Amino acid sequence: MKEKMKVLTLGWEFPPIINGGLGVASYGLSKAFSKYVDISLILPKGDSNFIVNNIETIGLNNIDIENLKISTTISSYTFISDVDFIDANLLPYQTKDIAILSENYTASSSTLIKERLKKDLSIFDTDDLYDGALGERVQSFAKIATILACQKDFDIIHAHDWMTFMAGMEIKAKTGKPLVLHVHSLEVDRNGPESKGWVYQVEKSAMEYADLIVPVSNYTAGAIKTFYGIAENKIVAIHNGIEQVQAYRSESSLPEKIVLFLGRITGQKGPEYFFETASKVIEFMPNVRFVMAGSGNMMKGIIENSAYKHLGNKFHFTGFLSQERVRYLLSIADVYVMPSVSEPFGLSALEAAQFGVPCVISKQSGAAEVLPSALKADFWDVDKMAGNIISILKYKGLRDQLVKDAYHDLSKISWENTAKELYSVFEERFGTN
Amino acid sequence: MNICFYFQVHQPFRLLDYNFFQIGKDHFYENDALNRQILQKIASNCYLKTNALLLELIKKYPSFNFSFSLSGMVLEQFALYQPEVLHSFQQLAKTGQVEFLGETYYHSLASIYSKDEFEFQVKLHEKAIEKYFSQKPTTFRNTELIFDNVIAKIAEELGYNTILTESVDRILKNRSPHQAYAASNTSHIKVLLRDYHLSDDISFRFSDKSWQDYPITVKKYVAKLKKLNPEAETVNLFMDYENFGEHQPESSGIFAFLKNLVSECIDNQGYTFKSPQQISEMLKPKDEYSVEDYISWADTERDLSAWLSNSMQYEALHKIYALRTDVLKTENEDLIKVWSRLQTSDHYYYMCTKYWADGDVHKYFSPYNSPYDAYIFFMNILSDFELLVKKALKGK
Repeated sequence: MKEKMKVLTLGWEFPPIINGGLGVASYGLSKAFSKYVDISLILPKGDSNFIVNNIETIGLNNIDIENLKISTTISSYTFISDVDFIDANLLPYQTKDIAILSENYTASSSTLIKERLKKDLSIFDTDDLYDGALGERVQSFAKIATILACQKDFDIIHAHDWMTFMAGMEIKAKTGKPLVLHVHSLEVDRNGPESKGWVYQVEKSAMEYADLIVPVSNYTAGAIKTFYGIAENKIVAIHNGIEQVQAYRSESSLPEKIVLFLGRITGQKGPEYFFETASKVIEFMPNVRFVMAGSGNMMKGIIENSAYKHLGNKFHFTGFLSQERVRYLLSIADVYVMPSVSEPFGLSALEAAQFGVPCVISKQSGAAEVLPSALKADFWDVDKMAGNIISILKYKGLRDQLVKDAYHDLSKISWENTAKELYSVFEERFGTN
Repeated sequence: MNICFYFQVHQPFRLLDYNFFQIGKDHFYENDALNRQILQKIASNCYLKTNALLLELIKKYPSFNFSFSLSGMVLEQFALYQPEVLHSFQQLAKTGQVEFLGETYYHSLASIYSKDEFEFQVKLHEKAIEKYFSQKPTTFRNTELIFDNVIAKIAEELGYNTILTESVDRILKNRSPHQAYAASNTSHIKVLLRDYHLSDDISFRFSDKSWQDYPITVKKYVAKLKKLNPEAETVNLFMDYENFGEHQPESSGIFAFLKNLVSECIDNQGYTFKSPQQISEMLKPKDEYSVEDYISWADTERDLSAWLSNSMQYEALHKIYALRTDVLKTENEDLIKVWSRLQTSDHYYYMCTKYWADGDVHKYFSPYNSPYDAYIFFMNILSDFELLVKKALKGK
């Protein structure tokens, strides 16, 4: 029997730590992918209560330093000390810490190394992997993951998003194994095409050094070509899947129709376009309420705007919600709107579709590629967005058809399909036969 | 053996991307610029060239007969955008070798929704054909060859003696499409059936490189004709006229194929080309073609599903025909005309969401990005139109 491919996966978010799409996708994909390959998963923080069958999970918070064999080959790092950081606005941390970080673990004394390791590891002792010390954490992760990787037997390195890319590069430099970058989101999505800071540099150098890049949509593949100058033959887009849920509909206590926005209230998600669209719809259909579920740096401005326009009674902010509350909102919503300025995938649109909510989404999204039944407009085309929302609320024939067709679209989407596709690409590019 | 050509000539008045915020403000619905552009493009790729070729063949072969059906919509577009195209059809009519068929003036689905409306549109179309081509149609073809026993009966009442429709396997049940049938439910209507294999070889498959017979040559095609049962009386080749030079570009060799096929059949094979009326007069029906549920020539299902298979199409069609009484009550000719044009079947075809291979055909013809857009724009227009009708009725 042919031996299974061994994949060393570098993850950042993983249940129970889920901040956004990355954690959901890393989990869904790894679980399905473990049927095809043997996975060792290195995470900054692992939870011993959360075990996925067939996946060896190593959380840096759980490693036994005293018994860790430190190979003498770890004498210097190729990438970590090289990186010309810091983007002070993005990651405000103090320079004196960085001096320590930039040092290499030299093999002079194993005790000293272990002391250093403990120090590096302590920064993973946090509930928020994205707080101020993100840059340090990314580098410590790279160092320690490299030590761990050198003691393992694997065929391919599979790194999820920029936080793990430096580790991926370092491991490839040490082991010579092929590096695959799985791109769930890019700096240019999060902060606009002008972002050329430290994170962008990490992404770009990793892409150049990688053997294969797997973005979650053709839309993101396009961004990798355009904004990072990567050759097309190195990129294979594979769409995300989605977990099946027990969807339900609930009786709303409000007489008005409900239009829902779900996600971080940040520039990337286009909340101001949602607000403009809403103002336009309310002008023509007063019996509609707009709900923004989520939080973010643009929330305050939008609240002020809605008060200024006297729409406070039509415009509601829930703040960040638990999954349970999110699902309840989906179960009473009449339209889901995702006006993202740049959305690599947009899992929440698929979740809305699962709950039988017709979707109005921006063309600048990966979800647009897998949901032919979603109504689409450019994120800035407020008239078209508003027209689409009104049409769904007004024309029953359209609403019914969209819901029906969305179930058809969803029937083609699963993590199983994603894993299968990823495996065939791995086989084709790195297989032994 | 006889070969019977019928070419369908039709262009819809496509609608504007009419958004919700225009309702109550903008009352012109058609995309005039786009319609003009498309008509002129097809005129130069297809209509003028193919008409010239057919005229040449008619002059060369006095026995070469065939038929056209021109919708009222395409006739109006010729007059509006490029009258010389209409003249070239009239030239063909003058030769006496071309039959012009009857259909619904608005290329509509009225036969399914309203008998009165259907009869009105068929008569209106007759008048147009008489006006432009000095012929009174005696052969009928309904929109997209939609047919059932009831439609056959109405056509008979309207004075027709022949109807063209699709040869549908589930109705033919191994009988031959190469003979005339009697329409059940009528006393003298003869039915001629499209040979969809041989018709689609010239239309759908002509440029299909994955097709085993590609490239189809006159020699290969004639070999197929020869292989037919010796008792075959007529091979009915029914297709969209736009196939010649538009769907199949000139570079595909479609014009040479048509020309050489006619020459080869007449010069060397002894086949004759007859119009549907000539075939009908000549052949005695041997059997009945009885159709309880609607059939058509569209998609692989050959039923109504291209226009009437999802809730958007049902709602849009239901609403447009529900307006009939009110629209006629206004006695406003402009409103009646706008409403009638909104009945053109293409508007509903664009709303089709069927996913399989045929979906591609719908996409090819649609001016919209998606069937949902097609529906949204149509319904916005209908909303505005309803306001106009209400206003007109109030003023009465």
